[in-house]
Amino acid sequence: MLKLVIKKEFLTALRDVRLQVSGAILIALMLTAVFVGKQGQKQIQEERTKAQSTMYANWLNQGTKHPHSAAHYGQFAFKPKPVLSFLDVGLDNYTGISVFLEAHKQNEILFSAAQDSNGMTRFGEMTAALILQVLLPLLIIFLTFNIFSKEREEGTLKLIHAQGLSMRQLLMGKVWGTYLMVLLLFLPIILLAYLLLDQQSVSLDPGVTTKFLLLTSAYAIYFLVFVLLCVLISAFAKSSGFSLLTLLGLWIVSCIILPKATTNFADKVYPTPSQFEFKKSIKNKVKKGIDGHNPSDVRFATLKQQVLDQYDVETIEELPVNWSGIAMQAGEEYTDQVYDAEFSKIENIFNQQNRLSEWAGFINPYLAVRNLSMALAGTDFHHHVAFAKAAENYRRGFVKKMNKDMEVNHKPGVAYGDYNVGEEMWASIGPFKYQLPGTSTILSNQWRSIAALAFWLVGLFFLSSLFAPKISKL
Amino acid sequence: MLEAINLSKSYGGHQALIDLNLSVAPGEVFCLLGANGAGKTTTINLFMGFIQPGAGYVMVNNLDITGQSGETRKHLAYIPENLNLYGNLTGLENLQFFAGLGGDKPDKSSAEQLLRSVGLQSDAVQKRVSQYSKGMRQKVGIAIAKAKQADNLLLDEPTSGLDPQASNDFARLLQDMRQNNVAILMATHDLFRAKDSGTHIGIMKAGKLIHSLKSNEITLTELEHLYLETMKSEGHVEVSH
Repeated sequence: MLKLVIKKEFLTALRDVRLQVSGAILIALMLTAVFVGKQGQKQIQEERTKAQSTMYANWLNQGTKHPHSAAHYGQFAFKPKPVLSFLDVGLDNYTGISVFLEAHKQNEILFSAAQDSNGMTRFGEMTAALILQVLLPLLIIFLTFNIFSKEREEGTLKLIHAQGLSMRQLLMGKVWGTYLMVLLLFLPIILLAYLLLDQQSVSLDPGVTTKFLLLTSAYAIYFLVFVLLCVLISAFAKSSGFSLLTLLGLWIVSCIILPKATTNFADKVYPTPSQFEFKKSIKNKVKKGIDGHNPSDVRFATLKQQVLDQYDVETIEELPVNWSGIAMQAGEEYTDQVYDAEFSKIENIFNQQNRLSEWAGFINPYLAVRNLSMALAGTDFHHHVAFAKAAENYRRGFVKKMNKDMEVNHKPGVAYGDYNVGEEMWASIGPFKYQLPGTSTILSNQWRSIAALAFWLVGLFFLSSLFAPKISKL
Repeated sequence: MLEAINLSKSYGGHQALIDLNLSVAPGEVFCLLGANGAGKTTTINLFMGFIQPGAGYVMVNNLDITGQSGETRKHLAYIPENLNLYGNLTGLENLQFFAGLGGDKPDKSSAEQLLRSVGLQSDAVQKRVSQYSKGMRQKVGIAIAKAKQADNLLLDEPTSGLDPQASNDFARLLQDMRQNNVAILMATHDLFRAKDSGTHIGIMKAGKLIHSLKSNEITLTELEHLYLETMKSEGHVEVSH
């Protein structure tokens, strides 16, 4: 009997002209978003790959110079555009794309798309994620708002009941029939999106197929949650008009108001310092450390004495190693500690804000799927931090290598300008490579969102089963 | 077999049905007459289990429907007053759907045959129901009821809005079902149809069954007179059986 109801619901929806038109518009939007998004992702990735190799070539071809000058000459790290970001740009437009890596300081990741765009970027791009998270639920509302009230108005609900079908069976039939219709719209396009993934992009992220499947599953669950919610509300609404108003109100609250309110609330509960305060704090703490360029610095003098004692000599000229190289590295290590402590504080604040948003998924399934989608597409905060950390590790590695070379090979007494190294030294620093976090890392970061979706799914099935017998047939 | 024993129902403070007793045996057609709000539809709704009784019992084939709603519904077929069916489906698809819910889904040829047997024209079978007249929709409703092969049939003003030809076709189908030993309870405003098709007639007023009589014991004119007198009378009325 359930199969019959599912088939009937699917068939009546399929033959509804209003749904045919709105479905066609949605498909057209999805196709556009997927194709344009994929082209954009491919182009951006090519540009960044090219920029990364150009900058590395510049590094290799910087000519002969002192290693510390090379550390100041620096390198750039470009954030790869994640393969699945064409489905969900997430925070990518706001987090910057490249960072200049140089001695002594940890620079910001700059040049976000939002910086180069007009205010419209703030309203969000027309991406597949926006359509799936916001517009497809709207179609579900139009599919379901009168799914019960119409039966009552047309007299078919009584007839269905008279034929022996229980309200629980009817409710489930309507849920699965509508869901089938939603999958008919969703799955072919998502399959097409998968076919658009080129091997070059996939090489950036070997786990992309698993992430894609999980992303598809997350949306499939989200749609089922939305269908269940809408059918359940429609079942108990007194009229089609009341049902439509309730569902539209719910949509506005869950897809527009609550996400903004959650962000604002998280910012109030866990306030972030201003960029000015953040930079000032770092500057003040760095000042208290070892300034490798300032011989009159007290901490500099202490370190010098330690090194002299270590080598059992009286003056730095007697040292078998280059004192400046040691001082520079000590200065780097102190600065690194300051940056680590300060960035850790701010990362902790952002993590607390994000966790609050993830917990809010238990109130609003939209937030759960939004967080999960961004994470699986590689465009969430965790991915940004992972890139920033990878770039910083690379910076520390190459600066350390320059300082070490200076310490070991720049003989005492040789003037700064008289010790130079060349391409062989530069080539010993490999190009910056970044691997996106794996699926298990993403899933462990997003366990709250996964649990929230599961909570909604199980909870709504339970409520449907519990309340279905109370559905009025009149 | 349909039975109402001391059956009452109220909505808030309003008594919609008061101490109703009636019985419809196999092969009988019991027609409930009465003005709007007399309690006819409430009676049908109680038999169908759409609402729960306030007091008394509703029995279907000697089974109390309270607590055995699922089982009793197997023995009931029903045709509501305004049956619109699913406009996006054809008559055939509607029949296959509803009949499938009630038991075995008939295959295409037997469903077509059933629709033709209730007088639906062959070319209408594959048309969407949104193009049907009310009479055609009622015929599909009858086909659905017939397909269920239930022992009891409940009809809520089935001929309202039908043209005379369709109404006549309907009466003929009712007779077919009666001859197949189906117990039929029909709420109607149509005195002529009640006299013509019913074996028993009940006149209801303000939730009470005022008169209950056999249709062959009264002429149409007498029935009309009795009905009008009952509607005019106020206060307590003696119940006649």
